[in-house]
Amino acid sequence: MRHSLRRDITIGAIAITALVLLPLVWPSKALIDFVIRGASLGLFATSLNLLIGYGGMVSFGHGLFFGLGAYSFGLLMQRTGMPIPAAFVLTIVVNAAVALAIGAICVRLKEIYFAFLTLAFQMFLYSLIILWVPLTGGDQGLRGGIPRPTFLGIDLADQKQLYIASCVLLVIGLMLMRHIVASPFGYTLRMIRDNAIRAAFLGINVFRIKLVAFVLAGIFGGIGGVIMSLFVSGAYPEFAYWTVSGEGVFIIMLGGLSTFLGPMVGAVILLLLNDVVTRFTEYYGLTLGAIILLFALGLRRGLTDFLLDYWRQFRAARAPMQRS
Amino acid sequence: MDLASLVSCFGSPACVITQVTSGLIIGMLLFLVAAGLTLIFGVLKVINFTHGAFYMLGAYFALTIFKLTGSYVITLFGAAFGTALVGLVFERLFISRVYGRNMLMQLLVCYGFILIFDDVVKIVWGAEFRSMGMPTIFQVPPIFIAGGVVPPFYLFLVGVTIVIGVVLWLVIERTRFGKVVRALAYNPTMVSVLGINTGILYGLVFALGGLLAGFAGALAAPVRSLTPGMGFSILIESFIVTVIGGMGSIVGAFVGSLLIGLIRTFGSVGFPLFTDGLMYLFMVVVLISKPTGLFGKEIA
Amino acid sequence: MLSIERLSKSFEGIAAISDVTLDFPTGSLTAVIGPNGAGKTTLFNLISGALRADAGCVMLDGTDLVGLSRTEIVRCGIARAFQVASIFPSLTVEETLNAAVQAHRGRAAVLGQRFPLADCGERAREVMDMLSLSKEADTLSAKLSHGDQKLLDIALALVLQPRVLLLDEPTAGMGTEERWQMIEKVYRLWEREKMTVVFIEHDMDIVFKIANSIRVLCYGRVLAEGTPDQIRCNADVIAAYLGTEHEVEP
Repeated sequence: MRHSLRRDITIGAIAITALVLLPLVWPSKALIDFVIRGASLGLFATSLNLLIGYGGMVSFGHGLFFGLGAYSFGLLMQRTGMPIPAAFVLTIVVNAAVALAIGAICVRLKEIYFAFLTLAFQMFLYSLIILWVPLTGGDQGLRGGIPRPTFLGIDLADQKQLYIASCVLLVIGLMLMRHIVASPFGYTLRMIRDNAIRAAFLGINVFRIKLVAFVLAGIFGGIGGVIMSLFVSGAYPEFAYWTVSGEGVFIIMLGGLSTFLGPMVGAVILLLLNDVVTRFTEYYGLTLGAIILLFALGLRRGLTDFLLDYWRQFRAARAPMQRS
Repeated sequence: MDLASLVSCFGSPACVITQVTSGLIIGMLLFLVAAGLTLIFGVLKVINFTHGAFYMLGAYFALTIFKLTGSYVITLFGAAFGTALVGLVFERLFISRVYGRNMLMQLLVCYGFILIFDDVVKIVWGAEFRSMGMPTIFQVPPIFIAGGVVPPFYLFLVGVTIVIGVVLWLVIERTRFGKVVRALAYNPTMVSVLGINTGILYGLVFALGGLLAGFAGALAAPVRSLTPGMGFSILIESFIVTVIGGMGSIVGAFVGSLLIGLIRTFGSVGFPLFTDGLMYLFMVVVLISKPTGLFGKEIA
Repeated sequence: MLSIERLSKSFEGIAAISDVTLDFPTGSLTAVIGPNGAGKTTLFNLISGALRADAGCVMLDGTDLVGLSRTEIVRCGIARAFQVASIFPSLTVEETLNAAVQAHRGRAAVLGQRFPLADCGERAREVMDMLSLSKEADTLSAKLSHGDQKLLDIALALVLQPRVLLLDEPTAGMGTEERWQMIEKVYRLWEREKMTVVFIEHDMDIVFKIANSIRVLCYGRVLAEGTPDQIRCNADVIAAYLGTEHEVEP
């Protein structure tokens, strides 16, 4: 399938419109909360998939950037008087810088060692957050809420406007990542994933490409964290705990890692499961565990991967008939 | 940061003894869990994320068996073999289906089971903290070494673990079973071509890992409070140990566990809020300088 | 002109390549033959920079390649294809070549545009045609036939516009007819592009028919070198490798 810029922009515009109109059709606070959380998680998981699905770099520590984004933004808003857009940009810069530093160390390592080192860095950051009580509030997190001065007439203290902002961030974020994946860089990344040795023989600087991917993933993961910090009006150590990374991996596996929107689908599935399962049974672990096994042993791949394979088989089965 | 306390602790024999014994306890329990983890990885090339749950099951099995029999010896062996059985079934029925699939799929299966096991434990034993209590044999006054307090059970725990460690080493290095298992780690195809049923062997290796984790759980039960979440933290720590010691190396697991145990205890004196941070820092350093860990890749 | 001078490489005390001196005249089509374990692939690894020689030098038109990085060696004009096709399973043939061309032109990290880049597309199609792969342009590399995978592997080397092309057993794993088809493509390629081609081959019929010079390796040393006729008569080569069936035919 050819990726065309215009087509993607059109889809993006339609998506934003649909999301913005949704609460009018279905007014519900739960829906608004769901979508905002979905935006945060969806951006995070899609950014992780840049590494796992497209780059073949399995990171167990991506939650670092989620937490870092949340805390950086929260701290900037609480401590300085800067307007939200400025804090947002600065948070991106911080995430990029940390990703550059950590990535330069981690990206050289292979597979499982890369996974463990990223995890170690994340948990180290978590420990720092717990330790540095005067700055971060320690295990209590950033309290006192996040000030939201209006900017350009937008007031993010209003839940509806936060909703719209989250949707816009989600769609733009996804579109940017989509563009990255469809660019020459994206294909070079796939080459490295498939066969790094041959890629090197073609003159590709594998280290540099992987590092850039790591930084880009860190940026978008951080944006997910910013949305979450606005949503809960604070930042908590849990945002940097290894379970966030685990959830990210889990979401990608659920939704499918070979399609671009797989992680987004996975995020929605997980949020739905969280809400629905807790409503019907107190045995959340048992149910969720069983569903996970269904995916892992039954479908053996994420939902969108499964649907894609099914679609391909379907077309292949029909094609001979059409030719004759 | 409380370096003053740390320095003064090093100066006081009582403090050193207390911290060292606490560190040994943590280290020994960690060793049993990490040894199983590293064995499973070395032979089966699977990262068993469910291993923490095995430890938890061992502890809860111990709780029930002790309540039923009152004998700690039966408890130890019962819990260990019970967990070994769980490991065997888990491998034969579930893990065997995801061999060769990418690591993330295996992780997913394990994660599913962590959730299931946690809930099963919650259902059967309840979600509140449970406690097994110290078996009467060990309800004796603590021993004083150089002024430091050493509960006798601690000595028992260390002793038993060392015995288990030695037996494990002998089994791996000196028995035919151990030889086949080591061969399996290097060349599974060859082993199966020689007519050996590799499937059952894989199951037995998992069972062995479960046995070790079960022993750990049963040994921990008298001195730790039991809760459905207890698998998580020991899992993370045993991963750190396997990374530091070297995946697939049992000697590495031993050294790594001792190091972590001591870092924990002395670290909590000097860096009370940052003990975990020290561990992770150590992990970062090892991974950067020698990713294969202190003792490399072979099963020792 | 590619010349190897006193090249040596050992692995843990065992000499894989020992004091090898050879040359490959510019524009020649040379076959490197020898029994298994003779060091043929190691020789390729040393020339292409995958391994670093213990001693000796690899001179390409006056530049010593030993010690240079793989990328630098590629830039000097050496490209290789592999015994087991080393390709990118999840990309189609056209995507693979597009990506390879873009990498060769230093555009691998471009983020601002969409893939494929227009100018790279032209060159990619050119290379596909050279190896008759155009009909498989949209096929996933993983789904290609074995022979086409080997062709793609060679295409990836051609993208680099090499002066010297190293082919490691281009006909490996093929039946007789397929082997001749493959070697014919190699021959036509060599004729048209006028580059120096060195190939490792085990099928002696093919070697004697196609190659215009032959180098024989045995136990890491040069056993003989020369034209096919010379090699056919060479007693050492016959004794060590060929047996009597390839002796001079009337």
